[in-house]
Amino acid sequence: MLLELSGVSRRFGGLLAVADLSMTVAPGAIHGLIGPNGAGKSTVFNLITGVIPLTAGRIHFKGERISGLRPSEICRRGIARTFQATTLFREYTVLQNVLVAAHLATTPGLGPALFWSRRYRQREQRARDRGRALLDALGLTTVAGQVAGKLPHRDQKALALVMALATGAELVILDEPMAGLAEQEKAETTRVLRRLREQGVTILLVEHDMKAVMGVCDTVTVLDHGLRIAEGTPREIQTNPAVIEAYLGAEEPGA
Amino acid sequence: MAPSRGAGVPAAGVGLIALAAAALPLVTRDSYYLDVATTILMNLTLTMSFRLQISTGQINMAHISFMGIGAYASALLVTRLGVSFWATLWIGALVAAALAVPIGAVALRVSGPYYFLITFAFSEVVRLIFNNFFEGLFGGPSGLVGIPKPDRLFGLAFDGKLALYGLMAVLAVAVALALVRLEYSRFGLTASAIRQADLLAETLGVNVFRSKLTTFVLGSFVAGLAGVFFAHFRQVLHSSDFGLEPMVLLVVFTVIGGTGSVWGPVVGTVLMTIAAELLRELHHYEILVFGAVLILTMLWAPEGLVALPGTVRRMLRKLRGTRTEAVGAGLAP
Repeated sequence: MLLELSGVSRRFGGLLAVADLSMTVAPGAIHGLIGPNGAGKSTVFNLITGVIPLTAGRIHFKGERISGLRPSEICRRGIARTFQATTLFREYTVLQNVLVAAHLATTPGLGPALFWSRRYRQREQRARDRGRALLDALGLTTVAGQVAGKLPHRDQKALALVMALATGAELVILDEPMAGLAEQEKAETTRVLRRLREQGVTILLVEHDMKAVMGVCDTVTVLDHGLRIAEGTPREIQTNPAVIEAYLGAEEPGA
Repeated sequence: MAPSRGAGVPAAGVGLIALAAAALPLVTRDSYYLDVATTILMNLTLTMSFRLQISTGQINMAHISFMGIGAYASALLVTRLGVSFWATLWIGALVAAALAVPIGAVALRVSGPYYFLITFAFSEVVRLIFNNFFEGLFGGPSGLVGIPKPDRLFGLAFDGKLALYGLMAVLAVAVALALVRLEYSRFGLTASAIRQADLLAETLGVNVFRSKLTTFVLGSFVAGLAGVFFAHFRQVLHSSDFGLEPMVLLVVFTVIGGTGSVWGPVVGTVLMTIAAELLRELHHYEILVFGAVLILTMLWAPEGLVALPGTVRRMLRKLRGTRTEAVGAGLAP
């Protein structure tokens, strides 16, 4: 297993946001994490990426323990993420945004940055090439020179994904990649995610658009009130009584 | 503003600073003008290193204290132990940098207003130590006096205004070159990314704490270097030289120039040091004028004077844009 959560809990004061959660993400999969509002999905993402500490349990990535590490170190181990409220370096151009992320692949030292050695310049060029290739793949080449904060919503979302990929991550965690997108843009994102899977990138995503989740995911985990209530293929999940129960009153999953 | 990262800009900018510094003695050797020019260059190293820290989102109100630490360290080493100025120049800066490691490690546990307050508290502690404690060592309220000018180096004397100016010019250009290079490298790119969205930077693999600490220590090294020069240039040190008032001036110089670009402090320091000289007659009221200028800058050019041409251009384009739009609207049925 690529990612393994065992007995993970997180308490906020009196609220147990995530309760004794165990789950695994298989390499090369597109894995969906769904659940009603307040189920603890985003908290799980924050726990995996080290943004908030665990109350109990442990998380392993490629067999190594990552819980307790700094977010930057977890990213270095190969996990990158996007945020629900799309976060970018708003004053930077699209290309500069990608460069910050791409730099990870080659460690920045104070010395090289001061003396601009030949090796440093070669690394810079590699980061630049890598960034441009990714922008090209996601149709952002034409806006590469534009300031990120002024991009349309769709491009901001695409840029956030490019940045996560530019780190060279093996596991990419996407918090609502479809939110606020038009139907056609959602279809486009689905295609991109499938293409990434073909290239060997593992994807873990939280998404409210059930049609998109059921259409793209290989495995789906359902959370409710911090508890895992179901896990399986999209087909299994759609017919699972516990899942239907959790969503009752709102809408039937897959509707 | 995101700095453009062309290769020619940093070289041209530092070249211009070096050229201006080298040209001044050809224009005048009047000791007053040399004095002012030396002060400009010394302030330049302070504002540029202060801005290096601002670029990662830290407003370090103790920056001036590290200048003081460098100054007192060198003054004591030279007067008490007879160490050469050419050694203490580096030792003083290194002492400031070494103290910056634990202090930065504590202060950088918090950010924003809390960081501002912690560093401010620290600067007061340093000032009080220089003023009230170890009077035999630091000279207390009457100051540390009798600091000699730099000793000879390779047969060159450093007792004249021109030689001291030359020394400061070399130091300032070296500092400017280093900081400009950093700004236009991936280090600068990352630093400003941290200021814009620190959590995003962290999750993209940037160790935010370490990056901030690096800029804190590096900035303190430069401040220490300026402090050593200051000690042997003025030859007397008072705790108030490193108190709140000079710190506020440092903030004003930097902010007026603009903190978004590495060139902002250069513009701000040159203009404001000259302004300070012209306003000398006003004595303590000069700070009122600075306050007014700061407020006007914040209102009309929040990105600082260095960004003014761009701001004006954008405003003009907007004006022109709304006009075309208005015309277009008029044509609509």
